[in-house]
Parts: sequence; C-alpha cells; structure tokens
Amino acid sequence: MARLSVENVSVDFGGIHALRDVSFELESGAIVGLIGPNGAGKSTLLNCVSGITRPTRGQVRLDDAVLSALPPATVAGCGIGRVFQHPELVVDLPVRENLLIACHRSLGYGLVSELLKLPNVWAAERAAARRVDHVLERLGLSDSAELAIRNLPYGHRKLVDLGRALLMEIRFLLLDEPIAGLNDAEVAKLRDLLLRLRQELGLGILVVEHNMPFVSGLCDRLVVLDLGRLIANGPPVDVLRDPKVMASYLGEDA
Amino acid sequence: MSVAADITRAQRQAASFGVSSVLLGLCFAAACAAPFVLNGYGLYVLTLTGVFALVALGLNLLTGYAGQISLCHAAFFGVGAYATAILTQKVGLPYLLSILVGGLLTACIGAVVAVPAMRLKSLYLAIATLGFGVVLQKIIFEWRSLTNGGGGLALSPPAIAGYELGATGLYYLTLALVTLGIWGAWNVSRGRTGRALLIIKESEIAAGALGIPAARYKVIAFAISAFYAAVAGGLFAYLVRYIHPENFSVGLSIAFLSMVVIGGLGTIGGSIVGAAFYVIVPELLRGIKDAPGLVFGLLLVIVMVLMPQGLWGLVRRLGRRA
Repeated sequence: MARLSVENVSVDFGGIHALRDVSFELESGAIVGLIGPNGAGKSTLLNCVSGITRPTRGQVRLDDAVLSALPPATVAGCGIGRVFQHPELVVDLPVRENLLIACHRSLGYGLVSELLKLPNVWAAERAAARRVDHVLERLGLSDSAELAIRNLPYGHRKLVDLGRALLMEIRFLLLDEPIAGLNDAEVAKLRDLLLRLRQELGLGILVVEHNMPFVSGLCDRLVVLDLGRLIANGPPVDVLRDPKVMASYLGEDA
Repeated sequence: MSVAADITRAQRQAASFGVSSVLLGLCFAAACAAPFVLNGYGLYVLTLTGVFALVALGLNLLTGYAGQISLCHAAFFGVGAYATAILTQKVGLPYLLSILVGGLLTACIGAVVAVPAMRLKSLYLAIATLGFGVVLQKIIFEWRSLTNGGGGLALSPPAIAGYELGATGLYYLTLALVTLGIWGAWNVSRGRTGRALLIIKESEIAAGALGIPAARYKVIAFAISAFYAAVAGGLFAYLVRYIHPENFSVGLSIAFLSMVVIGGLGTIGGSIVGAAFYVIVPELLRGIKDAPGLVFGLLLVIVMVLMPQGLWGLVRRLGRRA
C-alpha cells in the first residue's frame, strides 16, 4: 500500500500565493477529487505533484521518498502518471505508435543497441507491443489501433492519453478535467474504467474536475481549494454540505 | 483524410511493401553500377550527393524528429573534415579510424551545442546555433598550428589497408556509409529514441509526464546529428582533397537545412532526395545560359509552395496512387 503525501505545500509566483500550506494524502486504491473555483490552485497543485512546479515551501512525498526536488520525468518514473486536460499526442502517428511512446522506460535498451537493432531490441519491442495490445483492449480501442490520431474523435484521443499513463506501470494517476469535451456515454464509460482500474490495479487516483455529479459519484473523498488554501477534505456528502465550501465554491451565502 | 482512407492506406502499405523493397533494391543496384556508367565528374557529383545525404540524414533526426533547428551543421561538417584530415595526415591514424574518431569528437561538441537548446526554442535556438557555427569556424581558422588557418589543408589520396582509394573507391566507401547511415537512422527513428524525439517536438511537458527527460534527448539528438555530419565531413575532405575554413560557412548550414525541408521533414527518404535535389539539379541546370542560379532559386520556391511535405511527400503520394 503506497501513500502519496502533499505536506504543507506553498507555491509563490512573484507576489501571488498560488498555494498556501496545503496538506493532504492519497492512498493506493483511493479516488480523491480536487475541486475549487477557477484560480483556486488546482492545476498548480497537480504540477507540484508531477514535478513541473517546485514548491516554494513544503514537499511532496511518495512513501518515504521526497518527490518535490525531482524533474518531471523522474517523478513519472516513480509511478506517478499524469493525464492533461488536452491530450498532447503525435497526431500524424497511429494510436499504437502513440501508446508505444509511453513504453519508453520499460523498453530500456541503449542507443547503440538501437542503432544496430540488436536482438535485445527486437525482444523488448515485441514485449512492448503485447503490452500495448493489452491496453488497447482494456480501453476498447483495439479496432482503432492503426488509425492516425488526427482521424480519432476527441473522446478517443483522451482515452489514448489515459492509455499512455497506464503503460507506465503507475501507482498513482493524476487526471486534469478528464470529462471535459466528452459526451454522456463516454463519461459513463470513463467512470467505469476508472473504477475498474482502481479495483484491478489498486491505483490511487486524483481527479481535478468541475462536474459535480461526476466527482461526487466517483470519488471517496473531496479536497477543496479556495484561493490557494485547503478549505475542506472529506467524503463528498459532508464536503458539499460544508458552509465554507458552499460559500466559496458554489457562490452561495452560507 | 478519412478513416476509410486510413485503413485502405494501411492495407496498401502492406501490399506495397514488396514493391518498395524491389524499388529499393533497384536503386541500390543502380548506385552500385554507377561508376561503370558515369565519367569522372559525374562520379564526383554522385559522391558529393552521398556526402550531403549523410549530413541530411543526421540533421533530419534533429530537425524533422526532435523539432530542433540547427544552423551550425556546416561547422560540425567542417570539424569532422579537419579532424579526419589531421588525424590521418599528421597523427598517422588509418583513414577509417580517423573518420570514426572525428565523428565521436564532433558528437561531443554537438552535445555541448545542445546545452542552449535546453532553454531556447525555434528561432532563438537557430540564432544560438548560428553563433556556435561561427565560433567553430573561427576556431578552425585561427588554430593555425593545427589547421594551417586560411592557407587550407591539401590532402593526398586516402588509403585503406595499404590500398590507395581513388575516386571509385571513395564513391563505394561513401555508398557503404550512406547505407549504414540509412539503416541506423531507420532503426533510431522507429525505436524508443525516435518516439521520444517525436513527443518532445510535440510537447516537452507531455514527454516529461511519460518519463522521457527532454533535456537528455535533445543532447542525444544533437550528438547523433553531429556524428553524421562529421562522418560526412571526413568523406568530403578526401573527395575535394583541399579544405579551407571558408568551405564550412553559415551558407552551407542553410543549404543543409534546405535539403531536409525540401526533401521532407521527419522522413528518411526525404533526406536522400533533398540532398540529391540540392546537388544534382544545379548541375543539370548548368546548360541553361547565365541563369542556373535563378532557375534553381525559383524551383526551390515552387517545390515549397506545391509540396509543403517536401519531395518525399510527393513520392509517397504517387506511390499510394500507383
């Protein structure tokens, strides 16, 4: 059982306090929603966890290892997957090739073997292709494997992006607005997929999302940010009834 | 392009695989037979095409795949040429070993040039590499004790295992190295490095999230690319047998970049076709009185306007239709 801890994290951009003393934890198998109005610091927090932004104070830890001083690629290598709001895929390449990009670390052969295409390269590429097939099947994209990304509907592109994260043997998954731009059927499918991933792989999932019915239906816990401060952390039913949350997030008078 | 077109393309690609291997074999056979058909000058032009194709292959990995612009490849080419010449003539190393050592040395210089690439993008990177190119060229010029500066270096024909390499020998050596170069570039572009470079071109942040360190791969791309340019330089030195710092000016760097763009960014065939276009077309235009430069310049414009994907894109389209 792994634990991802955000400990007293503050981020200052010049004079702006994007995050102030935020702490919470994410365990394997938990699905936590990170919510808050625009400008609350949700994306900054995701960036801190994935190593893109360095906290001004405080730290992010995976069990006993401090992540917050590591570059993004190393953080990803520790098993923290990140799916962006807009999938950044190579649009000219087929789905399969885009997924193979994510096998980078597991492929593991050196440059000289690659230049000469030594037998270890063949073996590693075959193993990666099998893993890609497996993920394609899990995402229901097997029929689209050879299609170029540019011919894929937006919802499928987001699935490919999620597939890349899955190929990295992650333990934690950070999702930034996963259902933005998806239709109802796709949203339902994604929800089932995330629940299945939690069950089968024991993934801990942190979701930033504006859609309240979706987050409250999916998440075990909600963490609420407002103006860089953590104002609530608990089960959805409690959090959504919290007067502070209603005041800041829902814009209602408490 | 529709989904259906995509699928038929995949099917046709599978079907045309045999056809393209046959075509490739024919091209290779023609290249092997060329010395028996061409006169001395023709062979020189073809060897020069091979030399430039080697540079273009490396530059295409850097620019076409990784999306990094370089305006110092003429300098890498020059460092390779001088290193090979000096190692052969002054140190007495065998020719092939000199080419390899020169290539590795230049790869290290290429890795250093990559340092600004970690911070700079597009035009800014282009200007920074331009500066590097000027500095390298100036070092070659000023380091007289080693390079003979503005006097240039005159070279005697190279030898491999005691056999003096004539024009035909050098042509076959170039052909062999270009073949190796194509094979290596093919492997890299379709392996984990090539995929890493493609995603870095798309988005460095996305690359990081996939566990791919962008900085390291930019260094690798610059180093491989410099290695290709330097090996080509080692061939070039003994093709022309007299090298001078002025041979390796920014103008040549721009020519290399043009070859890659005209041929087709991010394609291996494009590197070869682009180099061939750049070397052979001006030769064919020589007959046109007074105006070869003008016609060639216009041709460049026409190719870019009509074929934004380069000549190789056209070849592919024709291949698909056939």
